[in-house]
Amino acid sequence: METPVRILSVKDLVIRFNLRGKTLTAIREASLDLYKGESLAIVGESGSGKSVFTKSFMGLLDKNGWVDSGSICYKGEDLARYKTEKDWLRVRGKEIAMVFQDPMTSLNPLKTVGKQVQEAIELHQGLKGETAKRAVMEIFTDVGISNPEKRYKQYPFEFSGGMRQRVVIAIAIACRPEVLICDEPTTALDVTIQAQILQLLKSLQDKYNLTIIYITHDLGVVAHVADRVAVMYGGDIIEIGTSEEIFFDPQHPYTWALLSSLPQLGIKGERLYTIHGTPPNLFKEIKGDAFAPRNPKALKIDFEQRPPYFEVSKTHKAKTWLLDPRAPKAERPKSIEAIRAQWGCYNE
Amino acid sequence: MLKYSLKRLLQSALTLFIVVTVVFLLMRLMPEEGYFGSGFEKLDEVQKENILRSMGLRDPLHIQLKNFYSKLLHGDLGTSIIYRPKVPVSVILKSKVPYSLWLGLASISASLACGITLGILMTQYKGKLWDKIGTAYIVVINAVPAAVYYLFIQLYTTSWFKLPILFSVDRPISWILPVASMSLGSMAGYAMWMRRYMVDELNKDYIRLARAKGLKNRSVMVKHVMRNAFVPMAQYLPTSILLTIGGSLYIEYLYSIPGMGGLLIDAIQRQDNPLVQALVLIYSSISILGLFLGDLLMALCDPRIKLEHQGGSR
Repeated sequence: METPVRILSVKDLVIRFNLRGKTLTAIREASLDLYKGESLAIVGESGSGKSVFTKSFMGLLDKNGWVDSGSICYKGEDLARYKTEKDWLRVRGKEIAMVFQDPMTSLNPLKTVGKQVQEAIELHQGLKGETAKRAVMEIFTDVGISNPEKRYKQYPFEFSGGMRQRVVIAIAIACRPEVLICDEPTTALDVTIQAQILQLLKSLQDKYNLTIIYITHDLGVVAHVADRVAVMYGGDIIEIGTSEEIFFDPQHPYTWALLSSLPQLGIKGERLYTIHGTPPNLFKEIKGDAFAPRNPKALKIDFEQRPPYFEVSKTHKAKTWLLDPRAPKAERPKSIEAIRAQWGCYNE
Repeated sequence: MLKYSLKRLLQSALTLFIVVTVVFLLMRLMPEEGYFGSGFEKLDEVQKENILRSMGLRDPLHIQLKNFYSKLLHGDLGTSIIYRPKVPVSVILKSKVPYSLWLGLASISASLACGITLGILMTQYKGKLWDKIGTAYIVVINAVPAAVYYLFIQLYTTSWFKLPILFSVDRPISWILPVASMSLGSMAGYAMWMRRYMVDELNKDYIRLARAKGLKNRSVMVKHVMRNAFVPMAQYLPTSILLTIGGSLYIEYLYSIPGMGGLLIDAIQRQDNPLVQALVLIYSSISILGLFLGDLLMALCDPRIKLEHQGGSR
């Protein structure tokens, strides 16, 4: 890759929610740099804050949530300071667009598909009437919807799930964004369609020079599309690196656990690895390493002090005391080594 | 769309036919005193029998039914016997319907406009002051019997605002109170449903997408939320509209409006069978027409309904 240009830079972001009078900290001082043209995957279990984290880039947090501190720098502006709708309208769609998880419910059931895409085009490309309509047809062709003339006039209920996801992607693309956030774009689709949609996103990325953030808990998707992977746990990015680094040389015990529980790595006849315990209670203040209570081999310091980032390589860093020079040598689970053996052959 | 409408139209016609026939047959079971008008005590059996025969009431049932329908098709609703003897029912109705109609229309426009606006306001300020005021209003209107606040309005507002206590055709100002009283209830209903449906829509995923697209909050509200919230409303609108036009018994009684509100009860009590028959015909056609229009309106608003085999989600 040529010298990467930083397009989005999140620093020490804290996001809190007010739930029935209690305050919940969903994102705890998470930092992230996003480079132009790359695909970054954010993985983590449900409730780790993946969605909330990215929604904050577009001001789409639920009404009871707010950015407490930290900054989100995009093109010289701090999005974390945006308060009014007017501010956000400069970013939403135009700069950062989003593809949502469930295509069955993401489209307005009472508007023709064409009109819904056209809405985005009229909003962001300044086209009107016939020209806008023609632009819709073009985008339909781009996202692989055949027979656009006919499809333009149809309603979402006349589309299959995969086709609807193409429409949702068309809407996002129609905004001509720099950054595209795909929030579990394939979770609701069946496996054959998943691959098609990922392929489509890849080709659109090349054509429109997009930077894509994939949010997913499907590590198969990650291996398929991502240049870099960020692993989230308890509202923080605990490890980040290139796909190879995360899959073949993971450092954080949580990443180990996550990879070990991949069904693909299970040995026939043996129980699949599971992570014990439950995700941290976000209402309470988390002391030390958030994963420590679920980590059978946690060190004493894991419960006392929060680990900083330790750099493994220029692109790879992790928040775990295991990387501290003073830490005892920890044995990585065997199954992790198996990944290289299993996937290495056809990934490289 | 055409097929759908025709099918619904046929269904409605069939329903209407069944209702009218059943009512017609039931009327035959009513006591026969109603057919002789005042002074029937003086008639002897032979005279009574002659009158009934001359009215065709001694014919076999299917002949009677046939006669009734053939008259009906020519626009003849029969003749009143007791309520206003020897006056055709259509004439009686002609003098009464306009009052109910205009009163109903006025109250519908008022309650629709205010109710839907209130619903939208409540959604927009959900959980805030407007919402609470609106909710309080809806609860009060639904909890207090209509008769109570109707009376309250008539007694107090007339003295506070110096409004006329009774209705008279040529004084527009005397319309205010009846229309307002009639609107209060349905306005609460419209507001409640509008708010409910809008909040339902607001929580849907496609609204999130519309926001993420970069649409203004206002546009999201108008183009997506409101439009979609109208669909479930659409189904019930025509019925409630038509029933309001049918007249409010109590309001018409309170303000002594010569509308058709009390007519049916009057006619039943006095056993004026042709009048009852005609009124039942009118009321049932009104409600069947309302349901039919509701279905049509909904099909117009919601593209999913036109394709019959796709249905089932509703």
